[in-house]
Amino acid sequence: MKDTRRSRVVLGVLLAVALIMITIDYRGGADSPLRGLRGVGEAVFGPVERASAAVVRPIGNTVDAITDAPDQRRRADRLERANQKLREELRSSRLDSGRAQQLERLLGTAGIGGYKIRAAHVISAGQGLEDTVTLDVGSRSGVRPDMTVMGAEGLVGRVVRVGPATATVLLATDVTSSVGARLEDSKEIGIVQGRGRRGLGDGGATPLRFQLLDANAPLRAGQRLVTLGSQGERPYVPGVPIGVVERIDRPAGGLTRTAYIRPFVRFTSLDVVAVVVAPPKTDPRDAVLPPAPPSPSPGLTAAPSGKPSEKPSEKPSGEKRDDASGAPGDQSTRKPSSRD
Amino acid sequence: MLNAPEPSATGRNVMTVLVLVVALILQVSVANRLPLPGGVTPDLVLLTVVALALVNGSLTGMVAGFCAGLAADIIPPADHTLGRYALVYCLIGYVCGIASTEMDRQSLVPFLAVAAGALAGTVLYAVTGMMLGDPRASWTIVSRMVPLQVLYDVIASPFVVWAVLRATRRYERGERTRKDRFSVPAARYRAMSGRGPGL
Repeated sequence: MKDTRRSRVVLGVLLAVALIMITIDYRGGADSPLRGLRGVGEAVFGPVERASAAVVRPIGNTVDAITDAPDQRRRADRLERANQKLREELRSSRLDSGRAQQLERLLGTAGIGGYKIRAAHVISAGQGLEDTVTLDVGSRSGVRPDMTVMGAEGLVGRVVRVGPATATVLLATDVTSSVGARLEDSKEIGIVQGRGRRGLGDGGATPLRFQLLDANAPLRAGQRLVTLGSQGERPYVPGVPIGVVERIDRPAGGLTRTAYIRPFVRFTSLDVVAVVVAPPKTDPRDAVLPPAPPSPSPGLTAAPSGKPSEKPSEKPSGEKRDDASGAPGDQSTRKPSSRD
Repeated sequence: MLNAPEPSATGRNVMTVLVLVVALILQVSVANRLPLPGGVTPDLVLLTVVALALVNGSLTGMVAGFCAGLAADIIPPADHTLGRYALVYCLIGYVCGIASTEMDRQSLVPFLAVAAGALAGTVLYAVTGMMLGDPRASWTIVSRMVPLQVLYDVIASPFVVWAVLRATRRYERGERTRKDRFSVPAARYRAMSGRGPGL
């Protein structure tokens, strides 16, 4: 190799730069000076991702429809017909009607709980070991870090970073995610933790793990979980359905039981989701869980916020913030930006 | 030197950047969203870096690897310690570039080289995570992920290598007249990858 000496120097320099960046970012944690770089990444790649997502979404839907089939061989016939129908839908470009239905269900769910939402599309997903996705809404749409993200069926995750037109969401299945949860019809609370990369850690059907705080509280398979709600409703608003207890591990001699949760949301095929921009005025308790649909009037809060032109978060979130023990400096920086 | 001030060199550099950007965008908005069994997706960016390094040598390989890694660290859904991909891809680009000159030109060897590069890259990334105490890089997750990831990478590699060569082919011609040593792997690759997608 003729360039050994020079290329070694370059290699050394590049490796040193990489190591320095890792060190600075690792030691700095949440407020490391390199976060600015991520901001650059958001500004540069965000629009490109939005554009490319519009192009590739039909491809993803097709793959989705095909890979679903082997899961349910018993109903192969029905799925084949469904596949056929999906392809026809694709061909006649009636895809949007499907998404409108998703949105409608989403609005219904949000209406029952009294959440004010901002509908969004998933435009990209994280690489390597992390369970993150990007949404096509950002600070210009009133989205802020530490807001809950939900789908029509239940909890998706929380916003961790916001760019001008994109937002990064940490999914509930990520290992670093932990959510306060409550068993339905009881006051027993615990923590739901992710098990990594869409359940890669151990079996795809139960990518979440639940531990009760009270070791003696009754817990059985089939019980459902909703979010408990964080202090000040951030990052998690109360009452969002999470999933069903699938099985319970009782280690011999152990003090804690671990329940494995099958989530309501399918994390492998997220498309239409919603960012909760304002929490409900009262805790909806178990009302949002599926078989409690006494034909509520969802028009009051959710329907207007579904319109894209509206800025729904303005007033109620402002009220909420006052009693939410947010830092005063936080408010002053946030208010002007939500007005533009 | 590799980046001598020649018109073909700048053209090639531009094309390299373009290829990397396209690979990144495809990675986050297509590949990562495929609901593949096991929840793992092929690492197109790593494959692109390996292919570029095998064709163009170690200097291009490591610079391209570093830049691609840095971009992968800051592209929106990324949520890991900044610099990890830059470190890993830079090293992989360098090693693959070195290996390209000593590689036996049998038809299967470049394939194995890509697989080895994918394995090394995946393991190295997981190791950096473990060293930083990243809870996502726990042993149970990594031990399940790595074999599947390498399998997907090997399946995807002919397509990626073929695409990269197609895109950069024009700018290798100018180099062949100038430098014989580098053109040999490139020509072999071209011949191999012509068959690749048909397999």
